[in-house]
Amino acid sequence: MSRLQPVRVVVADDHPIWRSGIRADLGENFHVIGDAGDAPETIALVEKLKPDLVLCDLQMPNGGGLAVVKACAEQVPVVILTVSEAERDLLDTVAAGAMGYLLKSSAPDELRSALWKAAQGEPVFSPSLAGLVLREFRRMTERSGPTEALSEREREVTQHVARGHTYKEIGEELHISPKTVENHVRNILGKLRLNRRQELIRYAVDHGLD
Amino acid sequence: MQADRWDPALDRGLQSGLVAFRWIAGGWMVAILLVDREALGRPVLATALVAAAMAVTVGYSVALWRDPDRTLRPAEVVGEVVVGATLSLADGAVWDADHSQSLGSAWPLAGVLSMGIVAGAVPGVAAGAVIGLARLGSQVIDSSVDWGEDELVSAASTLMLYVLAGGIAGYAATRLRKADRRLSLATARDEVAVDLHDGVLQTLAVVQRRSDDPELVALARNQERRLRDYLFGATDRRSLETALRDEAATFEQVHHVRTNVVLGGDLPALGDEPTEALVGAVQEALANAGKHAGASSVTIYAEPADDDGVFCTVKDDGRGFDPTTVTEGVGLGRSIRDRIERVGGTASWRSAPGGGTEVRLEVPA
Repeated sequence: MSRLQPVRVVVADDHPIWRSGIRADLGENFHVIGDAGDAPETIALVEKLKPDLVLCDLQMPNGGGLAVVKACAEQVPVVILTVSEAERDLLDTVAAGAMGYLLKSSAPDELRSALWKAAQGEPVFSPSLAGLVLREFRRMTERSGPTEALSEREREVTQHVARGHTYKEIGEELHISPKTVENHVRNILGKLRLNRRQELIRYAVDHGLD
Repeated sequence: MQADRWDPALDRGLQSGLVAFRWIAGGWMVAILLVDREALGRPVLATALVAAAMAVTVGYSVALWRDPDRTLRPAEVVGEVVVGATLSLADGAVWDADHSQSLGSAWPLAGVLSMGIVAGAVPGVAAGAVIGLARLGSQVIDSSVDWGEDELVSAASTLMLYVLAGGIAGYAATRLRKADRRLSLATARDEVAVDLHDGVLQTLAVVQRRSDDPELVALARNQERRLRDYLFGATDRRSLETALRDEAATFEQVHHVRTNVVLGGDLPALGDEPTEALVGAVQEALANAGKHAGASSVTIYAEPADDDGVFCTVKDDGRGFDPTTVTEGVGLGRSIRDRIERVGGTASWRSAPGGGTEVRLEVPA
């Protein structure tokens, strides 16, 4: 582990039961330095405390996770926690710059290792998220074609992540290094962001919005 | 009366309907006044009465236009009924020659309907009786009417019509409001339910992460999955996706291994046989992971394949095995392969000591 100090975390959730639960569960590698119950409060807290990581509920009053990601993702990695991967906003938050998302029912050790990676700036590309990304690119291809399509290799990597393979396993299967897999993942999420943004612009132009 | 507690949309609709009715009836009245002008004995009185009715009509229209949510006040409706009754009664006094129509027959009906809508069936009936009796009175004072059985029957049936109109308007409006209220209560309940469910989902998530009891964790996870399916899922019980999710849930409950279903696209509708074969093969793969792998998590992945088929994998993170030396691989492979090849698909697997096991399946449509 490259970091000696515990990761300083801000936890944002409108349910107090969750906030107190997460404090206890994060363990000694993480230090919860503040918590908040809605989006504006979280954004103000991030501004003030400059944490290493923000853990943010998708559904919160006054804007929710999407607002937090839009405001803070440039300064600090934001990981979205959600109770359901079926929610519409999920992909939007990732496209807006979230480091990834985790289901709230994830096992504690899984949660800790994913958050540790996110704090180092490594995307949390879970199988569920990879599935969502594959579906999104498929949808865009069917409609108008993405601005930036996934390369065959990137599609392959995404599919392997969705199947539950680790970067090491993917590297072995595709005869590339885990580091290369990681680079592919970054590019994949970058393309997702770019396409989403392009789509929003196209939508705005088509509908005469500024 | 609790008019202010009702959803204004319903009353707004009823009121606009009444205003339109008043304008049509008023227009009719003005037309008669112009066409049968020659037959009028007291044109000033007739014109004044029609003008009063039109003033009421205009007044209501302006009030509704200014404040669409404004409810009728009983005093206003009583006023309208009085104008209507006067109009009906005077109908017998303004004519002095034979005339084909009467001035106030339709317009006063608006007052009867308003009364029913605003105050209910009984006041509606009462307003109907007032207008009906005024009509009867007009015929009594009308010198051109010869009273006979026919006239009596005609007047009585008109009275009945007004009374019925008032009663039905009152009854229907009351029932509509009750239905409307039930609907808004149900909507409000739904909103509360979504909020509650969110809290329950959070609690179940906390239970899963904080409990050391694997059975409690599995129970919480299963309940969470069911609630989530109910809240967010369009669940066609027979679809492949649902079948895979059901298999995952059952497996998780029996073996206490976290199992995720991931989809890489919308799955095509397979026939019964390929679906059965695929689900059966997934079942076998899961059973193997549960028995031998010592896995902590399993991912079931499915995506649409070429020609409307489905590609599906079952991957565990267990200890794996060396396929060349371990016989369990042979047994696993044979039963899965049998199922899949019977429907024209292909099955393979990959396993390495320490690297988990992945079973890959592809079935055609």
